[in-house]
Amino acid sequence: IDQDHGPVMKKPRNKQRVLMLSSRGINHRMRHLMNDLEALLPHVKKDSKLDSKNHLHLLPELADLNNCNNTLYFEARRHEDLYMWAAKTPNGPSIKLHVQNIHTMDELKMTGNCLKGSRGILSFDKAFDESEWGKLTKEVFTHIFGVPPQARKAKPFIDHVLTFSILDSKIWFRNFQIIEKDPLQPNGPPQMSLTEIGPRFVLTPIRIFEGAFSGATVYSNPEFVTPAAVRSALKREKGDKYGNRKH
Amino acid sequence: ADAMPRQKVEIDNKIAMERIRATIALDPSLPWTETLTVTYPETINVDVEDDLNRELAFYKQALHSAQTARSFAQKANFPFTRPADYFAEMVKSDSHMERIRQRLLDESAGMKRAE
Repeated sequence: IDQDHGPVMKKPRNKQRVLMLSSRGINHRMRHLMNDLEALLPHVKKDSKLDSKNHLHLLPELADLNNCNNTLYFEARRHEDLYMWAAKTPNGPSIKLHVQNIHTMDELKMTGNCLKGSRGILSFDKAFDESEWGKLTKEVFTHIFGVPPQARKAKPFIDHVLTFSILDSKIWFRNFQIIEKDPLQPNGPPQMSLTEIGPRFVLTPIRIFEGAFSGATVYSNPEFVTPAAVRSALKREKGDKYGNRKH
Repeated sequence: ADAMPRQKVEIDNKIAMERIRATIALDPSLPWTETLTVTYPETINVDVEDDLNRELAFYKQALHSAQTARSFAQKANFPFTRPADYFAEMVKSDSHMERIRQRLLDESAGMKRAE
């Protein structure tokens, strides 16, 4: 008997699209990292470089023009420092993070591989649930790094896992291929193992803003030291050594 | 290290962050298969400078999550394992994988020579 007469209940969907772009002045490693993310995340739409670092308020509009409800913006400074903005557009929030220790998929040390466009498992360690900034970051990252099932190029199988782990007040990112059969024992019991695919990077949260690339600061990391300050402190230390020797 | 300047004002507006999170949170009735998100029930407590144990901790998290996800997928009757006869473009090209294989061969040959 067909009981389906009432209004059809719409299935809830996770609809996410991410605009990804960078500022001018990114180096090859930063560019390769963006290419890796584009290859792994089929719901990402890459756009050309943003002309000016002072016009971030254009980004929500640009995302909207591209039918994106998230924006991942990479901002390069001094050709060596990289910042990542992870934002919900158009209404916020936005999380600004410092990106360090980048290793891309080009490196031959990482031997794993996965289908282009397959949906990765997202894994967050328990520490994300122990602070408000952690919970908010987990929510935003779930939207940005989780491939929705109806993404145009998504593949119907699961063969890799993206991990986010908090250690030393930083967020560490890894991406592993899931291997369900032991290659040495193809007929033995299925024993799951992993090999790393890449990329790798470490994120230090700097600030969380209420709006999209704007608005009040709702979180600032007291432990964050700008990379320029770290370098000048190092230089000063070296200079002091010379000064002490001289006198 | 004491020369490092510290940011003076710490902001941690928990009430605002909770409110903001509520405005963007996904529908709690979404089936798991919409997000594929797993929470690892442990925190990572290792010496950050100890590369080997740090990477091992990440590996354990990933393996635990992959196994959890596979059991969730089975419960939801959701395809997980790729059939052996399913071929499609990979993120790393065949020529890149060949370079990786060659490097592994070179390495093991080098180790044999050193023995």
